[in-house]
Amino acid sequence: MNRNMNKGISTTVAIIGMIILLIIGSAAGYYAGISLTPSQQEYPEDSAWRTASITLSGSTTVLPIANASAIAFMNIYNTTTVTVQGGGSGVGYSNIIDGVVEVGMASREPTTTEINNAKAKSPAVDLWLHPIALDAVCVVVNPSVANSSHPLNLTLQEVGKIFAGNYTYWDEVQAGLPHHEIVVVVREPGSGTRGTFEEYAMKPWGYSVTTGATEQPGNPAVRSKVESTPYSIGYVGFGFLTENMHTVSLAKQAGEPYVYPTVTSIAGGKYPISRYLYLVTNGQPQSGSLADRFIDFLLSNEGQQIVEENGFLKLPYVYP
Amino acid sequence: MTSRIKEKVFFTILGIPMVACLLVFFWIVFVLSSGIGTLSWNILTTSVLKGGIFEMIIGTIYLLLGAAGIAGPIGILAAVYLVEYAPSGKLTRTIDQAINNLAGVPSIVIGLFGLTFFCKQLGLGISLGAGWLTLTLMILPIVIRGTEEAIKLVPTSFKEAALALGTTKWKAISSMTIPSAAPGIITSVVLGMARVAGETAAILFTSCVLVTRGLPTTPLDPVMALAYNLFVKIVALGEPPEKVFGIALVLFFIVIFFATAAIVLRIYYRRRQPWLR
Amino acid sequence: MLRVRNSKKMLHFFKHFKKEPIEALLFLCAFFSIIVLFLMLFFTAKEGLQAFFTFGIDLIIGQTWKPSEGLFGAFPLIYGSIMVVSGALVIAIPWGVITAIFIAEVLPFSIRDIIKSIIELLASIPSIIYGFIGVLYIAPQVASLFGISFGTVALTASLVLAIMSVPTILGVSGEIISAVPKEYKEAALALGATKWQTIRNVVIPIAKSGILASIMLGFGRAIGETVAVLMVSGTVARIPTPPWNFLSPVYPLTAVIAMQMGEAAVGSREYSALFGLGLILFILTFIVNTLADIIVKREPKIRSGKK
Repeated sequence: MNRNMNKGISTTVAIIGMIILLIIGSAAGYYAGISLTPSQQEYPEDSAWRTASITLSGSTTVLPIANASAIAFMNIYNTTTVTVQGGGSGVGYSNIIDGVVEVGMASREPTTTEINNAKAKSPAVDLWLHPIALDAVCVVVNPSVANSSHPLNLTLQEVGKIFAGNYTYWDEVQAGLPHHEIVVVVREPGSGTRGTFEEYAMKPWGYSVTTGATEQPGNPAVRSKVESTPYSIGYVGFGFLTENMHTVSLAKQAGEPYVYPTVTSIAGGKYPISRYLYLVTNGQPQSGSLADRFIDFLLSNEGQQIVEENGFLKLPYVYP
Repeated sequence: MTSRIKEKVFFTILGIPMVACLLVFFWIVFVLSSGIGTLSWNILTTSVLKGGIFEMIIGTIYLLLGAAGIAGPIGILAAVYLVEYAPSGKLTRTIDQAINNLAGVPSIVIGLFGLTFFCKQLGLGISLGAGWLTLTLMILPIVIRGTEEAIKLVPTSFKEAALALGTTKWKAISSMTIPSAAPGIITSVVLGMARVAGETAAILFTSCVLVTRGLPTTPLDPVMALAYNLFVKIVALGEPPEKVFGIALVLFFIVIFFATAAIVLRIYYRRRQPWLR
Repeated sequence: MLRVRNSKKMLHFFKHFKKEPIEALLFLCAFFSIIVLFLMLFFTAKEGLQAFFTFGIDLIIGQTWKPSEGLFGAFPLIYGSIMVVSGALVIAIPWGVITAIFIAEVLPFSIRDIIKSIIELLASIPSIIYGFIGVLYIAPQVASLFGISFGTVALTASLVLAIMSVPTILGVSGEIISAVPKEYKEAALALGATKWQTIRNVVIPIAKSGILASIMLGFGRAIGETVAVLMVSGTVARIPTPPWNFLSPVYPLTAVIAMQMGEAAVGSREYSALFGLGLILFILTFIVNTLADIIVKREPKIRSGKK
């Protein structure tokens, strides 16, 4: 898993670097009696970024975070322009690879095809992933299937089989479940949420989603479908869980404990389908550039606050 | 039952579909009005960066006016040609067919074409200009057809009177026929704008973004529009129905505003033209 | 012989514009529509034909649409589009035409304009709102009325599309019907016909081609609708069992293109497959329009141009 290692190492280096700078910066700020804002301590002073403009495009999961933080950022720095559009993680990666936008948004890591496309460009595109939030993909069912008094526990492979259409009725999955047809709810092909889900629950066993599944165009759409359709099952990001659906506890494989998604279990790495939400750039953003500052803004306290307000988890190093 | 009463009953039954239309309309307005609570003068005039929707309103108007500004002249001139100049031949029939087909092209296909041709091929990127051109394609058939009908309604005696006085054909048409057809022409342009005001698929890929600073300053800038915003709010952001309906009401009122302006203009012109019913 | 005739025609064609140069401009504007249509067809075909070369006829008759596994059988999608549009037209055509007749002929003159304007306002409601209202209110009603588990099915899509198409059909039909010259109607009435007989035997036959044109426009509106069907049609890429089951979800072509275009990298198989779907849509509307044209050609069309 070489590409993962490279990504992992660059990301880790970036995070460690940022932590060190933050510690130095806040120490300096504390002693100087001023509060830390991203623009002050760490960059070469260059005011070109103040009137610059960047565009973010990609994942609809990251979209609420990007939207809120772009607005907050533009209100602090009155002459910058941060433009945000959606499209899906697939669009985010392809826009970065094609050089159409400066920053991409993704709720999954790049596929082999995307990495190859990036390398095939001349000059080659170097996909840098900047994690800005922690998230989990949660499997949800309509309360007619299970609820807190009769919770549903499944292994990842079982989940995969359900979404592949290997079962027609719920009672084939587990004894005690109702004898009714399973309604499978999925996301559109470009969705990073779908990509992450299939990466963990379907690809390892070569399953693919049944054609009988209904495709929904976003997390809210899946949520409302599962909430309103008896005997349905779907997946949403952690921030979209409600008490009108039952969240399934997942086990990585048979014999391992079933884990319910909570802030603790996700941040602690116990929940099997956790993922980072990324901002993607071509190479390391130039220090002091608008893209650089915006990404740092998202990693700052204020940015992480926005992350949390939108139902996602702050990055682990932020937690005590 | 006398045949008189029979006919009255028959016509009453015939009126049921129309009543159904009105019922549907008022029901939809009723549903939308649940969103009125989320609106306020403040929200309409405050920037998106401060929680308002100002740029989206102006952006939508920019898109509509620009597209109408391109489709209007081209469509009117094309309609004049088709009614006044075109010989009955194969070429004219082909043009006719092309217009009919253009009217039938699915909006997503027009959006895809806009993306590949205006945005990528012509290098406009996601921009107001690309949105104008794409929406023009949708408005054009409506304007052409409407203008054709309006011109046909003008008594030819007007044009002939001018011709008898010795003017050229074009002078006769431009000074007599077109001004007389003005109410119908204006109506068809506004109808076209109403049709595309709520259009999402065409602008989805070609011109809109969720948030940016300020209004587009050149046609190469992306634009924030109400229809696109509605789409993202419903599908990706999961906003509650009241907020969505509130914004939908704003879009609806913009269209009503243009439609009312057209009706007022129509009445004004009709006063000067007593030969129309 | 032929060459001489053709070049004579060309010369005549250009000399013709010299008489009144403004006519050249007007002609270009009209010709613009052909250019634009051709451009659209060209670009859609450029990408879409790739798909036909790769998958052949399987693109249209294949029954499994699973891009992730390289299966691009669009038949369920085509069937879905045709199904919801047929359902919509079955509802919208009688609804729209009867309303148009009623407004133009029966309604007292004073309120005619107001009613027409109100109904035409239905056309200016954003299509996404139709979809949203469909999901929030119509789908649950359908689900409880027919006792099925979810209401986003072909029937709901047809209902929503019908409501969206009626203003289109109404607008054009209404214009055509009210444009029927008064003299014809008065002549019939003078001969002793009742109002309904006049409508049935005089007005409708004259307005027939216009009404047909409005139906074509309505068809175009229905088959081209994207966001509304995306939300209410169910988006399941399967042919219903049995095939006429309107209480089953379907996945119309327009919805597929909108949903799956995001993932498709430019130039990839998915990309050309989706353009192939666009091409299919294009061809479908072209076929319907040509059919209508053939039927309309039977009626003489009056032009004030040169003979």
